[in-house]
Parts: sequence; C-alpha cells; structure tokens
Amino acid sequence: MRTITIKLPQYHGVPVEAERISPDVLSGLSIKEISEIEVWQGNRRLRLSDIFLISGDPDPDRPENTRIVLEGDLSKVKRIGESMSAGVVEIIGDAGMHAGNSMRGGTLEIKGDAGDWLGREMRGGRIIVEGNAGNYAGAGYRGERCGMRGGEIIIKGNAGAFLGEHLCGGTIEVMGDAGDFPGCANQGGTIRIHGHAHLPGAEMVKGSITAGSARVLPSFAYEDIVELGGLTYKKYVGDLVENGKGELYVASGQIGK
Amino acid sequence: MIIKGGIVYDPANGIFGEEMDICIENGRIAEDAGGEVIDARGLLVMPGGVDAHSHIAGPKLNTGRIMRPDDSRMGTEPRTGVCRPSTGYTVPNCYAIGYRYARLGYTTAFEAATPIIEARHTHEELEEIPIVDKGALTLFGSNWTVMECVRENDMEKLAAYVAWGLRAARGYGVKIVNPGGGEAWGFGSNVKSIHDPVPHFDVTPAQIIRALAEVNERLRLPHSIHLHFNNLGRPGNYTTAIETLELLKDIKPSRMRQVVHVAHMQFSAYGGTGWKDFESKASVIADYFNQTDHATMDLGQIIFGPATTMTADAPLEYANARIGHQKWSNHDIELEESSGVVPWVYMRKMPVNAVQWAIGLELALLTKDPWKVVMTTDHPNGGPFVNYPEIIALLMSREKREEEMKTLHEVVRSRSTLPSIEREIDWSEIVIMTRAAPARILGLEDKGHLGIGADADISIYNIRPDEIDPSKDHAKVKAGMSRAKYTIKGGAVVVRDGEIVAAPQGRTYWVDAAVPERDMDRMLSSLKEKFERYYSIRMSNYMVQDAYLSNPFVVRAGVQPLKEVI
Amino acid sequence: MRLQIEDVLCTFCGCLCDDIRVEVDGGRIEKVRGACRLGSSKIMGHSRIKSPMIRVNGELREASYEEAYRKAAEILVSAKHPLLYGWASTTCEALKKGILLAEEIGGVVDTTATVCHGPSIIGIEEKGLVGSTLGQIKNRADLIVFWGCNPSEAHPRHTLRYSSNASGRFIPEGRKDRKVLVIDVRETRTARNADRFLRIQPGTDYEMISALRMIIGGKAESLPEDVAGVSRKELVEIAEMMRSAKFGAIFFGLGLTHSRGRYKNVDNALSLVSELNSHTKFVIMAMRGHYNVTGAGQVLAWSSGYPMAVDYARGAPYYNPGETSCCDLLSRRDVDAAMIIASDPASNLPRGCVEALAEMPVIQIDPFENPTTFFADVVIPSAIAGIEAEGTAYRMDGLSLRLRKLVDTEYPSDVEILQAILDNVRRLRDDN
Ligand code: SF4
Ligand SMILES: [Zn+2]
Repeated sequence: MRTITIKLPQYHGVPVEAERISPDVLSGLSIKEISEIEVWQGNRRLRLSDIFLISGDPDPDRPENTRIVLEGDLSKVKRIGESMSAGVVEIIGDAGMHAGNSMRGGTLEIKGDAGDWLGREMRGGRIIVEGNAGNYAGAGYRGERCGMRGGEIIIKGNAGAFLGEHLCGGTIEVMGDAGDFPGCANQGGTIRIHGHAHLPGAEMVKGSITAGSARVLPSFAYEDIVELGGLTYKKYVGDLVENGKGELYVASGQIGK
Repeated sequence: MIIKGGIVYDPANGIFGEEMDICIENGRIAEDAGGEVIDARGLLVMPGGVDAHSHIAGPKLNTGRIMRPDDSRMGTEPRTGVCRPSTGYTVPNCYAIGYRYARLGYTTAFEAATPIIEARHTHEELEEIPIVDKGALTLFGSNWTVMECVRENDMEKLAAYVAWGLRAARGYGVKIVNPGGGEAWGFGSNVKSIHDPVPHFDVTPAQIIRALAEVNERLRLPHSIHLHFNNLGRPGNYTTAIETLELLKDIKPSRMRQVVHVAHMQFSAYGGTGWKDFESKASVIADYFNQTDHATMDLGQIIFGPATTMTADAPLEYANARIGHQKWSNHDIELEESSGVVPWVYMRKMPVNAVQWAIGLELALLTKDPWKVVMTTDHPNGGPFVNYPEIIALLMSREKREEEMKTLHEVVRSRSTLPSIEREIDWSEIVIMTRAAPARILGLEDKGHLGIGADADISIYNIRPDEIDPSKDHAKVKAGMSRAKYTIKGGAVVVRDGEIVAAPQGRTYWVDAAVPERDMDRMLSSLKEKFERYYSIRMSNYMVQDAYLSNPFVVRAGVQPLKEVI
Repeated sequence: MRLQIEDVLCTFCGCLCDDIRVEVDGGRIEKVRGACRLGSSKIMGHSRIKSPMIRVNGELREASYEEAYRKAAEILVSAKHPLLYGWASTTCEALKKGILLAEEIGGVVDTTATVCHGPSIIGIEEKGLVGSTLGQIKNRADLIVFWGCNPSEAHPRHTLRYSSNASGRFIPEGRKDRKVLVIDVRETRTARNADRFLRIQPGTDYEMISALRMIIGGKAESLPEDVAGVSRKELVEIAEMMRSAKFGAIFFGLGLTHSRGRYKNVDNALSLVSELNSHTKFVIMAMRGHYNVTGAGQVLAWSSGYPMAVDYARGAPYYNPGETSCCDLLSRRDVDAAMIIASDPASNLPRGCVEALAEMPVIQIDPFENPTTFFADVVIPSAIAGIEAEGTAYRMDGLSLRLRKLVDTEYPSDVEILQAILDNVRRLRDDN
C-alpha cells in the first residue's frame, strides 16, 4: 500500500478548501505533482505545499492501494476525501467541514472530531469518527430531497443537530447523544443512537431510527414493546403527518403513550 | 462589418440557403459596409433567435431560485474577464440567462407573464440580463378592473385600462392566463370551463378573453392577445382549447398578424378522461390550425430531466404539487392574479411524460405552416431553453425521433401519432420557427429577418448546410446549434466560438398605446377608488418609473384613428 | 419654502408603509405625518456621522472621502476572505454594487436575514412558500394568526394597513369581520387584542404544529391527550378555527424562527399551511424586520441564485448557511476583514461574533453612528436612503417600491461610496 503523508503545521486563518485530497486524485501522482495540486485559502489559489508538508512513498499506485495520512489540526481544512471511491484517508486530529462528502467507497478515519456536513450526500464507503461530529452528518445539500444514500458512518462521540437529514439509505451509528431532529425527513436507511435523541424522525416516511432515549413527537403512533439484540424497545411508527411508515425504537421514551 | 460567404437563411425575405454576404452598419443590416470581415464561408447564417415565450424575469423566477438552491448549484460557472458568474439549470441567475441565450445564437427573449403591480421587480431582473433584447407581457386575465369593465360591457374603459396597465408595467402585450381562475383562486377555487362564471364578478372566462381580444385590436397593439387556456395541463383539455379558439374566429386583426397567440400549446392538447387514459390530441389541434388562420402557437415542448414549473395558473401548480408530492410555492397578487412555482422532473419511463414529449413534436410536425409555430419549452416549465438544439435535431431527423422513442415508455407509440410522422423540418422551417415567426407574431418588425434596415442580430453556426444531412447527422446539428460560432447582437460580436466575448446591455421593448382622454379619465376615476379602498399601496407609487429601463425601446400604438394616415 | 410631499415610503420596518406625508422646509424635514412612532423617529433622523474617519494608532481621526475609499479598498484587497454584511436598510441598488464588489474581491455577501428570518428561508428551501401580497390578506382574510410575533410593538401599522384591523373588499367591516388568533410563549400586547390566545411552552412550536397537522389530516385520535402542555381538546379547537376560515393568514416572527427547532419550525408551519389548502384557503408570511431585508434577498437571488450567505471566494457563488452565513463565519473566525453597511452588528450579533469583528479590520458605511463605529477602522458616512437618496426596496410580501429623495445632502449615497471603493480596488489591482 502506498502511504502519502500530509502534515499541517500550526494553522490559524481562514479555512482551506482541499477537495482534491482524496486517493482518487493523489494515488496516481508523484510527490512533486501532489505538492502542486490546487487548494484554496479563502480567495487565494495556492499549491498544496504552500500550506502542507508532503512526504511518502514516491511511486504512483491505484486508489484502492493508497492511504493518505493527514496530521495536525485540520479543523479548518474542508472537503477532505470528497467523492473518494477507494483507499484510505486517515486524519490524525480534527477534520473540517464536509469531510467525506459525496464519498462512494473506501474508508475515512478521523481520530479527533469532525466538522459539520460529515459524509454529506455519501453514497458508499465507511467513515469512522473517534470523537464528536458536528451538525448535518450524513445529511444532504440545501433544498435537495436526498442526503446520504449508502455507506456507513460511525461516530463514537456525540453528533450535532440534523443527523442524517433526508437520509435515503446507508447506516449511521452514534455512540453518544444526537442533537435536535436526527433522521428528519428520512426516506430510508438506518440510524442508531445509543444516547439521547430530541424529536427523532420528524417527517420521516421510511427507514428506521433507534435511540437510547428520546423525546418523541406527538405524530408518532406507539405500537408495541419489541426486542432487538437482547434489549427491549418501545416501537413507534411515523411520522404520521406525512403518512410515514418509518420505524422508531426507543429504549426508554420520556414522553410515553 | 461584413459577413462573407455564409449560407444564408432569411425566409422572411425569400432567401432559403443562398451563399451571400451580409453588411452591417450602425447596428443594422445595410447595403454595404466596411470594417471587420467575418469569414463565414460555407457556414450556416441566420437572423438571431427570438424567444416569444419564456420565463426569464420577475418574482416567480426568484421564488424558483430561492426555493431551489439544489438547482442553483447546477451549472455554476465562475466569473471571467467578461462574464459575471453563472448559476442554475432550470432557474439560472440573470447573467446565465443572457449568456446562455447568446451562446445558442438567440438575441431576443420575451418574459411571458408579469402582474402589473410586480412589474418593477420584473424590470429589475430584465435589467440584469445581459446581451439580449427583451420585453415582458402583462397579465390581465383575472384583474378586477378588467372583469368589471367586461361585466359593464364598457370596451372604451377597458381599452383605457389596458393602455394604462401596459404603461404602468412598461409591458409589451396582453397576457391572459387561465382567465378568471386567478381571482377564483383567491378563495381557493377555480373556473372549470370558459363558461363558468368567476365568483363575485359575474363574468365568464369566455367574456374576458373575447373582450381583451377586441380591445387588443382596438388598441392596434403590435402583438395579439397571448393566451394560456383554461384547464391547461389537464386530461381532456383539447376541447377547451378548440372551444376557446372558436370564440375568436371572427375578430379582425388590426395588423398583419394573428388574433390570438396560444402559449405552450402542448399543455393544452390532451385527450383522455384522466391520467390513466391520457393521450395526445395534437393531431386534432394541428388540424384546427391547418384549417384556420387566426391563431399561432408556441410549443412548450418538454425535455426529459429537471424542470421548474412556474405560472400564473396557481390552481394548476397546486395540483402539480399534490401529484408530484413536491415543494409548492404560491403567490396571490391583490386585485390582479395568482401564481405558483413547483419543481418537476420529466421522466422517460413515465407514460404521461412520454406522451407529453410526443405532443410537442407532433404539433410542430403536423401543423403545415411553420409561420404558425414557435419553438419553445415554455422555459423552464417544459425544461430549460438551453435544450433548444435538442428539439431542432428532433424536428429535423426522424431517425433521432425513433432512437429517442426506444428509450421511452411504450405508450408513446399507441397514444400519439408521432411514430407515423415522416416529416423532417428543413433549415428554412427551423429559421421560421425560431426567428421569423416569433418576430412576426410579436410584431417586432426589425427582428427575425436580415432585410436592409433590420437589426443586425445574426447567428452563425459551425454547421455546413451544404455538407451535412440533418436527418442522419443530427448529433452534429445539435452540437453545432448549442454553441454559436458567432452571435452578433446589434452589430457587435458577442459570441465567438461558443464563448461570450462581449456583454452589452440589450433593449427593453414596451408599448405605449394612446386612448382618448375622456376614456382614460373615466377609467382613472374608478381606478383611484380601487387604490383608496383595496390596494395596499398608493397609486402614485404603483407605476414602474423610467429609472427601471436603462435602454427602453417604445413601440407606439393606440386606438385606431378615424382616417388612416398613409 | 415649505413643501408637502405625499405618499412617502417609511424606511424603518418591513411594512414599508408608502402613505407617509412629509413636510420639508429649507432642505430639512420638519414634520412627518401618518407614520408610527418608530417610523417618524427614523425619518426625522438622529445623530449623523459628520465626516469619514480612519483609525490611526487606535483612534478614529477625520479623513477625506478619498482617503477613506482608498483605505477601505486596501483592507478589502489584502483580505483573504472578507465579509460584506448588512444591506437590509439600504437600497437594492447599493447591494447590486456590493455584489459586484464581492465578485471582484472574492468576498462573502450576507444580509441581516441571517440573524432574523434566515431559518425561514431554509424552511422555504424544504417546502416552498404559500403566500400572497398583503393586499390579498387585507381584502380577504377572515382569520389572522400571529405566531411568535408582536406587530403591536415591532410593526405598529401592520394591523391597521394590512391585517387584523384593515378593511377590504370581502371584509368590509375590518376587525369585526375577522378572527385573530395569537400563538406565543407570553401574553404580548398583540395577544391581548386577539380573539383567542394559545400560550405554548418555549421550544415546543414544532410539536404544536405537528399536532395541528395531525388534526387537519384527520388523525386527531392518534394524538396524546396532552401535547407539550396543551390539551388535545384545545388544539382541536384551534385547528377547527383554521379549517373553518374562508381565508386564513399566518404571520410569524422570531418567536418561531429563533426558538428551539429553528428552521424546522418554519418548515413544519409551511407544510401546515400547504395542507390547510386542501380544506380552505390559507397563506403564510414572515414578519420581516428591516425595511429592505426582503429586497436584499431578492437582489442576491437574481444575481447569484441564492438569497443570503453567498461566498464568492472562488469566483462562483457558493451558498451554505451554517457555513457561509455571517454568524458562523465570525464565530469560527473564518473571515479576516469585514465591511458593514447600513447595519449594527455590534448591537445585534452574539457576543462571540462581535469579539471576532473587533479583532479584524472593519469598514463601516452608515449615515448614523452606532456601537459598530467604536471598533471600525474606516468609517464612511452616507446619505440616508429613502430620504436623501432614491432607490428600490421590497416590502415583506415581496412587492417592490421606489424610495424617493426628499432632501438634498452633501453625503454621497451608498451606491456612490461602493462605486468609489470598487474603483479604488481596481486601481490597486492594476498597480500590482
Ligand atoms: S409600521 Fe413600519 S413602515 Fe409603517 S410607519 Fe411604522 S415603522 Fe414605518
Ligand atoms: Zn409560460
């Protein structure tokens, strides 16, 4: 496997957009060519090496045999791993907004926290976040009817608001709590939240959401107690405002019916 | 400037593909000229395109943009040395509209529907559209003052109101959309036939249409009434279309043109009793056009893929939103109109969409006289205007139509006559449908042709009419028509090799129609009362100010004088 | 000479009243008639910035316009990500120039919508907006609902001109022919004048709306007896009030957009109104605050495709509120300079944002001194739009009107100032 290491020394300043940091783009390039790919810092067009230190195996390879390791505080670097289809991107630190957006395959590992719109409009592949994720993880773009359509996002900490908004497929798992409105307007896919969820599944029509605890909307109908993986859950169906058939499982509902 | 050696199509002047030079002097076609020489040897040369029905400016455009950031992010192009940034596909920003028309070789585009009270906004957007000449039609079909004049059968007063309304809106012509329905929608209902009275107003759509048509001729407006039928978009509506056209048969045009222009005919040529037995009635409609001479149409051809429907037919948009389970914007306009905007997607495998697609083409191919047909998509209702080259290729090639039909739902074969139509439109007919006819229908005397004195709006394509067979080389036709080799607007080169090289400000056409003072005074005194009691703004703040037309072109019209001055 | 000017527009709130009478004498406004208290005081004017100023060694010093333009251009050209913020209290023409400037320097344009009805716009992106002009409501609405807004205080002439107390063609008796329903977390003055007041718990708007949608959709029996502290019975009555109206109109304010749920509250309310149209006629409208905040959204939409928060850094417009909106940019320190026009972020933005602003170079263009002046580095006084300069503004319902120039002034208009800065920017660029 070819490893490419991209280090960010101390960085303060306006965000950097680096959508070309992806195995699909970098795998076939020499280290020198990688140094010259375009990144944007606000309104300035720069070369990757103007901001980052680049090293690694010199020989080009296929995307699936490429591992990109990013080191440093990348919380101000946006769009890492955009549209990637194979290979591995590893971020040793925090990641900026839109990491792994439109991803189709491969693996994105974030050792720290992820910014907003993690895995936006993702179609395949796997994202693992060791820390927390911001708002709109696995969601869509403004005005679109579909967010994430496939793949998997695992968030070991907490997720922000609007987790998996307009989810159409794929799986999201959050070990901690989710913010307001996880899984709103879902048309498919699966969301598992181990902690608390506030008003999950608003306007969902399909798919399923599981939560450790939740404030449940009045427009969900309580069905039964069910067993899932050895635990008991209250099962609700909704969102009835949309004649939805989404399934909501809550380990301990705070508003019971 | 001289354009040398092109194969020129100027059907309005009887030129059907002749090799000739064209001279330009002071922005107009001239006998001879010096200066720059454009080498067009063997290339297709024609007048600049004229879009007679498109939705390019005004509140409903912005409503579409605001509710569709998903659309705006499509077609994004950064600014260049000449161009401001472009965004959008079905609802492009103003700059993209101008650049994209110019790239197609179009130099004129008319916005098809503006309520008077919101015309200021329309002009603000028209001002921002670069390059093309433009104008806006003004909505009158559900207007309280219009309906009251009709009820009182006071044609002098109605003429005065129409003249005043055009001036207030800086409008170009009389647009009528689902007459009466816009008022009925104010309480959530609609009119169901042309003889269904408008609630509270005691007039019927038929009376409104007939009166506005008469007044339109009384005012000798350059354009005829421009009509969006009642029941548009509903199965079985072809009977409403024919019934409405019959109403207008005996009206005498005041100019050398039609009495009524039918907007986006495709949406009103539907048979069936519902969506299940939905079928094309294009052949019946085309027969009617073939047998009569008082009407013209634009197609409203659909294009597969995304569209944004936007119309003053608000009840239709409500129905669309319900059927498509789509986002729905509605906007009712005090005393004047209502309107709606709904995103849409036309799908090849959807039976209704497949038939709709066929209907547009059938109308163009079955109507014998190309002067009665304008090629449009009713942008962006049937799809964005950037797809005009696709339609041109379809009309010119039966082979392409066959190829396309293979990708569609099979009902296209049983519920339309398209598979049996052999006709292939030639270059002259294309030029008529996209240039000469729309200019004549709108009454734009200096456009749509290349006679001496005409506006020097010219498009030159990388197509060699002597070498290609559009029937077979339809892919080349489409590619060539998509990126003009040159677009010349008012004598200036604005597009070279498909790229914008200059972006001058086009003109805005509007019609100033004179009426006898006593009629105007009478009308104004009753209008004043409407402002005092019902409008939410003051009359003195209503009319579009001159500041909103930086480059106006005023066409004079008015009540026919007793003795024609020759 | 005393001059009476009729049908003047009030440039304070989103009502954009156009029936004000102003008396002018010797180039000064002497009297304002017909406006409310808020409008009158705006038109009468208050403390003006006298001259351009540039901060030198921590202190603002008077400067010439030319010096101020040049300094402003220098700040903008050297910034990697400048923010051009405000626009709601000036003309559309000013914003047009501002957008051109943003395109040239690769900046972000955002309007004050970002801190008021930004969430409403995001809601509209989800659902569309079922609305009308205000005159339609005046002539037809027999039910007016004020949800999380208090026109008595914030839009004083709204009720008389357009809504509850106005009379119109099908509502000849005005207030007598209409029912007024107020939904809010506290009993406002507007609520005290209503026929019915529904008090809800803070942050429960979304659940209320979902419950109403259930009832309108015929699913009342699936609701719990109590929805976030309101009984099902009461909600059924409220829903019945809506359904039985011939023409209902909901006006909503920051109570809906800035409580927990944010844009989802609006999103849900838009669906409620859309669904009510299966039973009767219903429209909904945001109570826009600044007189031309609507126009700012319109100009941006036709220029860029998006109504606020547009980032031109990479040459093409990019829009993503939450990322490209003023508060997010400032609190994350994602911008490095700001031009503030016709707005006072120091008083209106959250503290973290104001602190960020104070740390970066700031250009202020405004007729009036305000707390933002205290940390601005370049201050450029301008003519007051609608009084000293003409131009276009859009009322809260989207109707555009022309602002007039009532008196002469020495101050340049916002359009002239922005053009001068643009010229300086181009000159600096050419020099490099
Ligand atoms: S209601 Fe608003 S616009 Fe009208 S006078 Fe008062 S402040 Fe001005
Ligand atoms: Zn149309």
